[in-house]
Amino acid sequence: MDQAVTFLNQSQNSDGGWGAIAGKQSNTESTALGLLALRSLEESREKPAVRKAEQWLTNSQNSDGSWAYGAGAKTPSWSTALAVIALSDSALEVERLVKAGNWILAQEGSKPGILAKLILALSFQKKAVHLNDDLIGWSWTAGSFSWVEPTSYCLLALKKMKARLSAEAVKERVDQAELMIYDRMCEDGGWNYGNAAVYGDPLWPYPDITALALIALQDHRERNENQVSLRVLAKTAETTDSGLAIGWSSICLSLYGHDNSELTKRLEQKFAKTKFLGETKPIALSILAAGDGPSLFRV
Amino acid sequence: MNRREFLKTSAAASLYPLLGACNEELRWQKSAYIKPTSSRVAVLAAASYGNGLRETIIRGIKLFGLEMKGKRVVLKPNLVEFDPKAVINTHPAVVEAAIDSFKSLGANEVIVAEGPGHRRDNEYLLTASGLYDVVRDHRVKYVDLNTDEVRLIDLKSSFTNLKQLYLPETLFNADLLVSIPKLKTHHWAGVTLSMKNMFGVVPGAIYGWPKNALHWAGIVGSIVDINSSLPIPRFAIVDGVVGMEGNGPLQGQQKNSGVLVLGDDLVAVDATAARLMTIEPRHVKYLNLSGEFLGNLERDKIEQIGEDVERYQQDFTVLEQFSYLKKVVS
Repeated sequence: MDQAVTFLNQSQNSDGGWGAIAGKQSNTESTALGLLALRSLEESREKPAVRKAEQWLTNSQNSDGSWAYGAGAKTPSWSTALAVIALSDSALEVERLVKAGNWILAQEGSKPGILAKLILALSFQKKAVHLNDDLIGWSWTAGSFSWVEPTSYCLLALKKMKARLSAEAVKERVDQAELMIYDRMCEDGGWNYGNAAVYGDPLWPYPDITALALIALQDHRERNENQVSLRVLAKTAETTDSGLAIGWSSICLSLYGHDNSELTKRLEQKFAKTKFLGETKPIALSILAAGDGPSLFRV
Repeated sequence: MNRREFLKTSAAASLYPLLGACNEELRWQKSAYIKPTSSRVAVLAAASYGNGLRETIIRGIKLFGLEMKGKRVVLKPNLVEFDPKAVINTHPAVVEAAIDSFKSLGANEVIVAEGPGHRRDNEYLLTASGLYDVVRDHRVKYVDLNTDEVRLIDLKSSFTNLKQLYLPETLFNADLLVSIPKLKTHHWAGVTLSMKNMFGVVPGAIYGWPKNALHWAGIVGSIVDINSSLPIPRFAIVDGVVGMEGNGPLQGQQKNSGVLVLGDDLVAVDATAARLMTIEPRHVKYLNLSGEFLGNLERDKIEQIGEDVERYQQDFTVLEQFSYLKKVVS
């Protein structure tokens, strides 16, 4: 992984953040994962690169506690949860994190109104998706539907922050969001983005999303849904061929106590071959998967 | 005023805000658009993804007299998801032929750009679909529009409440945006062609997946608002060599049409492509709205060049709730 670490260090922008690919404007998602990756390495923890990345994140936090995705868009974004995960073990002022945690608690995915439900019920049309839309998690953007990926990030952030936030508020949101994720599980385990089937045609599980959901649900590891999905993940990880998917799969399997050495070896080989097309996220995940990274996602 | 007249007047007054909202003239900046009096669309035979695609596309581009010398062209295929058993995406051979064509016509730079609408895993989509090999072998840049740098624009129409939209910086630096969709049915919009393909230019990092903010704002309205406001000239090349029918855009079945559809009026291109699927364009809501001010969808306003539509028309099946699309009126 030395090469990946070098690449990550070299692709850090002078402002301390990382862009989606080297040379691009810094964004919250890439910077949060880049920071976590460097922090997972003992030799990097005290280096200026870590301080600079933390500084980029703190400087770009909005006054309401949220983070925008990048400098070009000021709108509060789903990437707030990733910033919280990245900063939750840092020596930052607690107030910043509490503010961010409370911002997450205040966000809710939307659901169809009574009128929309009534119209659909009266239209005699075949229902497109079969899910319980009363279960609320988190959406990508304010005022839209709950999806598995942003909900997983927010669950993880709240679970890491729970000692600093209102226990009652956290429990209420976490309980319902977990139900939402289980409700969206694919027929044979694992998760697609948010629907298990459309118009009766089943959707297939994505390894990265399945891994993220399982990481968010790690405190329910004995549940049958977790175990079934873990088997799905282990199987899909054998054949998946992208850094993002192998990276999250490897982190997840390690968190669940599985041997991930084969996956980390494949990440190393893939990096040597393609450098993951220069994308920061898979590079950071490959570093996280290889070292003590999975422990940074433990709740 | 008797009681009946009073009730009539009251009812009309209560409906006024609704009627006002339905007045399409209020929904776009009239001064911003000059709808062409007529449009040309080329339907060109392309039986397979083998040899000859490049020549077909060059012939098509030349029919429209596009001056490409020194220009920067962004090719926007439909790369949304990958399933080895399905025909979801624009075939990489069409993208490859388009790269070759624009280069050979003198384009200074050709960029392939997409913001996949369903799947975030860019590396997986690019490599599994075969598009990565194409951009690597042809040494062209690929831009993930989902995470590109962005600029905020005011929308020029208001078929949604979005009012403004962040768009990728890559678009603002280009001279021509070429929409290269797959000929497909769509389980929310009826069809997905060159205009719906523009959902892919909207950055997912800001609007989520599967471009969920647009779905929530209204798919039909979003298609019209995006296409009415893109800051760059456009051209379309529809991959109808092999299309998809049924539960598209991901889970439908393969349907061969053996054509490419090209044109510079995207409304006319989509209307023609819909006719190739035996779908009535007037019944496709986004086309019907767009036909009011963005381009032509009436048959008598579209000069068909190349092959006869009727010769290549295929009966694409649609989901039950879209059966009204098949009631042909023109």
